[in-house]
Amino acid sequence: MRSLLPFLCLLCAWPGLAAEPLDMTPVKKWLAKQDDLHSVQADFTQTRALRALRSPIATPGHMWFAMPDSLRWELGEPAKTIVIRKGDTYFLIQPAKKKVERYKADNISKKGGALGFAMINFPIAKDFADFNRQFETLSVTATDNHCHLEILPRDAQAKKMLQAIKFDFDTTTGHLLSFEMATRDGSSMRSDFTNVRMNQKIDRHVFDYDFTGYEVVDGKN
Amino acid sequence: MTTSKPRWIAIVIALLVFTGAGLSRISFNVDILKLLPTHLPQVKGLSLFLKHFSQPKELIVTVEAPTSELAESTSDALADVFAKHPDLVQRAVARAPWEKRPADLFELLAFLVLNQPPEQIRALANSLSPGQADATLKSNVEKLGESISPQEVALLSYDPYNLAGALGDLGSFAGTAQQSEFSSADGTFRVLYVVSARNFPNYKAAIAWVNQIKQIAHATVTDPTIHLGFTGEPAFVADISGSMEWDMTSSGFVTLLVIALIFYLCYRRARPLLELQAMLVLIFTLSLAAAGLFLSQLTVIGVGCAAIMIGLSVDYGYFVYQRSLHHRGTVGELQRQCVQNIAWTSGTTAAVFFALNFSSLPGLSQLGNLVGIGVVIGAIVMLTIYARLTMRFHQSQEGRPPSIVERLFATPGFWRKGAVLAVMIVLFLLGVLTVKGLPQPDFSARTLRPRKSEAYVALDRLYARLTDDRDMLSLVVAGKDEAEVLKRLRLAENSLSAAEARGEVKSFRTALPLWPVAGNQRANLPLLASVAKEIPRLRESAVAAGFKEEAFVLDEAIFQQWAAWAKAPTPIWPTNDTSRWIFRRVASHEGDQLLALGMVTPMPGHEDALTNAVQSEGTWLVSWNQLGRELRHVIPREFAHVIIALSAIVVLLLVIAFRSIRAVALFVLTTALVLACLAGAMSLLGMGWNFFNLAALLLLLGTGTDYSILLLLALKRNGGDAPAAQRELGLVICLCAFSASAGFGTISWANHIGLASLGQTCALGLVLDALISLFLLPRVWTMIHPRSHPIRGKAAS
Repeated sequence: MRSLLPFLCLLCAWPGLAAEPLDMTPVKKWLAKQDDLHSVQADFTQTRALRALRSPIATPGHMWFAMPDSLRWELGEPAKTIVIRKGDTYFLIQPAKKKVERYKADNISKKGGALGFAMINFPIAKDFADFNRQFETLSVTATDNHCHLEILPRDAQAKKMLQAIKFDFDTTTGHLLSFEMATRDGSSMRSDFTNVRMNQKIDRHVFDYDFTGYEVVDGKN
Repeated sequence: MTTSKPRWIAIVIALLVFTGAGLSRISFNVDILKLLPTHLPQVKGLSLFLKHFSQPKELIVTVEAPTSELAESTSDALADVFAKHPDLVQRAVARAPWEKRPADLFELLAFLVLNQPPEQIRALANSLSPGQADATLKSNVEKLGESISPQEVALLSYDPYNLAGALGDLGSFAGTAQQSEFSSADGTFRVLYVVSARNFPNYKAAIAWVNQIKQIAHATVTDPTIHLGFTGEPAFVADISGSMEWDMTSSGFVTLLVIALIFYLCYRRARPLLELQAMLVLIFTLSLAAAGLFLSQLTVIGVGCAAIMIGLSVDYGYFVYQRSLHHRGTVGELQRQCVQNIAWTSGTTAAVFFALNFSSLPGLSQLGNLVGIGVVIGAIVMLTIYARLTMRFHQSQEGRPPSIVERLFATPGFWRKGAVLAVMIVLFLLGVLTVKGLPQPDFSARTLRPRKSEAYVALDRLYARLTDDRDMLSLVVAGKDEAEVLKRLRLAENSLSAAEARGEVKSFRTALPLWPVAGNQRANLPLLASVAKEIPRLRESAVAAGFKEEAFVLDEAIFQQWAAWAKAPTPIWPTNDTSRWIFRRVASHEGDQLLALGMVTPMPGHEDALTNAVQSEGTWLVSWNQLGRELRHVIPREFAHVIIALSAIVVLLLVIAFRSIRAVALFVLTTALVLACLAGAMSLLGMGWNFFNLAALLLLLGTGTDYSILLLLALKRNGGDAPAAQRELGLVICLCAFSASAGFGTISWANHIGLASLGQTCALGLVLDALISLFLLPRVWTMIHPRSHPIRGKAAS
């Protein structure tokens, strides 16, 4: 029996020893496609499955993005929460409260506390090196023209809250199909994108918002 | 003989009891504020802050690892290991209490809501009413679907009635405010708070406990890539008190050694040397015992006095020994010959040092009392015991050939060349002073800290990796009760808001949102306490709206807490562990004085204006940097007053002693020249003025002036015969100067930066004083008294 022990140990360790490095080719291709990206607009449905709720909450929304750093993200119909990015500033607008919170993009990327913006941080990385610097890849599953990617931010505070960030994208078109943040308490927030239109002209006024009558404050990261 | 023996035995026993009682009471105070004037607002505010918010039993252990996972697991493992030592550790906290038990935040939330204005609470109660509850729940479910803030989503998930909504922005206050206490942003640097199971009766107990904790920590963490640091109050007490003890004993020991060397070189006699050393140890022990009995805790300045006392007391020993060499009479006659010189020099020195009690600086007063006591004891011991001893053996040494040093001092060429050298040095240093100017003042916190301290290194790392609050100002608001503090907090909040509008403040946070408002609590309690009766209905509605039962736990606990407080006297404070943890650095409400704390980040350059604008009765805006600024204004003025007063005392005493205006004028001129040369030497060596070495000026006034006084007395005695006076006292003054410089020189290596600078300045000043007094003063005397003659009858002595 004693002579079998090393063999058994080796057998138990086999799956670990045999694990091959992840094939990141689809991810590299997907990120490379962003070089050709000038704009994107899409509709989405955000589904929040919270541990404290008996059933998930689904909310419709729309998003517009134009290179290099213009973004509009609306949640609810009519929009209850709007995020607009202009240059290095994010504006979190709550029309019902007539309130605007202003955030510096640099501060958001430095602090893990503003995780909410991770959902709308687009594109997720400049290139593959930047992607690797920011994220640890948990799994990549590619089937036909579809890829499922699971990652985790390297930021310690974000890591403490998140279990995984999941993407589904079309490997041929580079379209993002869904995005999900799964938190460690068992909750998740998933956005499923439809009607994705890439590199179509977007009216620049989409990224404007009239703050007249709004209270504008600096947000606390 | 038979009657004197019991008397001697009684004296020895009394001295032993006195020494034992005194030494057993010696303790150190590492609080630097104890050295500073208590009337200064910055000192007052910082003292209150430290008194109420310092954690004397809390050691901060820092863990730095290559990865966040390793840092977190190490910090958790250490907390577990410390928890297994209940005899040593009361608690070890590696993460915020609410991280493990978020539900424990219920008491704080209940308290915060209770504090809100009654109209807000009426609105809240209305939102919970049977007619409104469903609408409230529906709106909150919508918010859960639309909020972009994970914090809001997390809180609202477990607060279906959005009770925290009544707090506005305050809801997230506790979580975000305390986040940086435990981990750096990247998680590779973590902090663990270890609280001792018992109080520390003295610094030795603190040192022992810190060492035990370090041993356990190092035995637990063996991975060489993980770096542990130890800071916090017990670590500072252990580090600073340990180094103070070492500085005190080592400087005293080295001074004794240097004195022995100098004495042996000059006289080549072992027995008087050993007896002189024994006398110095006796003086040191008696002085320290007196300090233990009559003074409060020794501060860092007091520590330096050990070497200074030895360095000064040995002067009287040298003088007695030198006179005994040529004395042919009785012991009594020798004592009478010596008493005049020793009484004048020790009298002026002690008077100068005791007069430091008039200063508003407690540190200087302690220094004055310690040295004053030491000098008086030194003079008494040397005159009564050492004089007797020197007479016992000097007979056997008659006919002893003079040593090389003694022969050197008897050579006229030595004095001539010495004078030329002294003139050159003085001219050079005056030139340096003219070119480089006066030494620059440095009242920064740097001079108040030790040179080497593991606790400071760990604290610097903590500042670098977590929030660095060194540029922030701490708002300290004190009052006799909650209402008074609340009133002052509101005033401070208004002043800070106005300053923010003026652009003087970047951001600020006061304890106002966390301070109990008794009036609101009294008005809100009946309404909120009654909600507890509605718990079954509220739970049912929440479940019907889509929440799980577990989502109602927090709200239910809050409702029950309000009911539990229904009969409690106001103002109410939260008391559970989580609340205590949050409040421990924000509010202090135990004891007869209540205190609230806040943090203000000023715009650079507006610190002084802001401090003045906010400061009012019971309210201070303080920081160590601001203290440095305040000291820069106050201390030089304070020292100038003390120096002028002490100079006046010395001059008055000398007018009585010399009965000659010229002699006094010469003394003043010599002292001024010494100080000018000292300033030149300090500028040359790049030394600056700080709180500690300004005290050196006072020490020089008390000690260095002895040399010129002795020389002037000798010149008077020898009828203005300068060579005779130099021959008589040259060797003694050189011995005194070198011994005292050795005393001060040894504290130049003290661990405390300020104390070391005091040692360097004094050593430098004393050497200059001896040089000018010995070589230049007699020459100037001869010039201004061309026809002076020896005083009849005194020249021979």
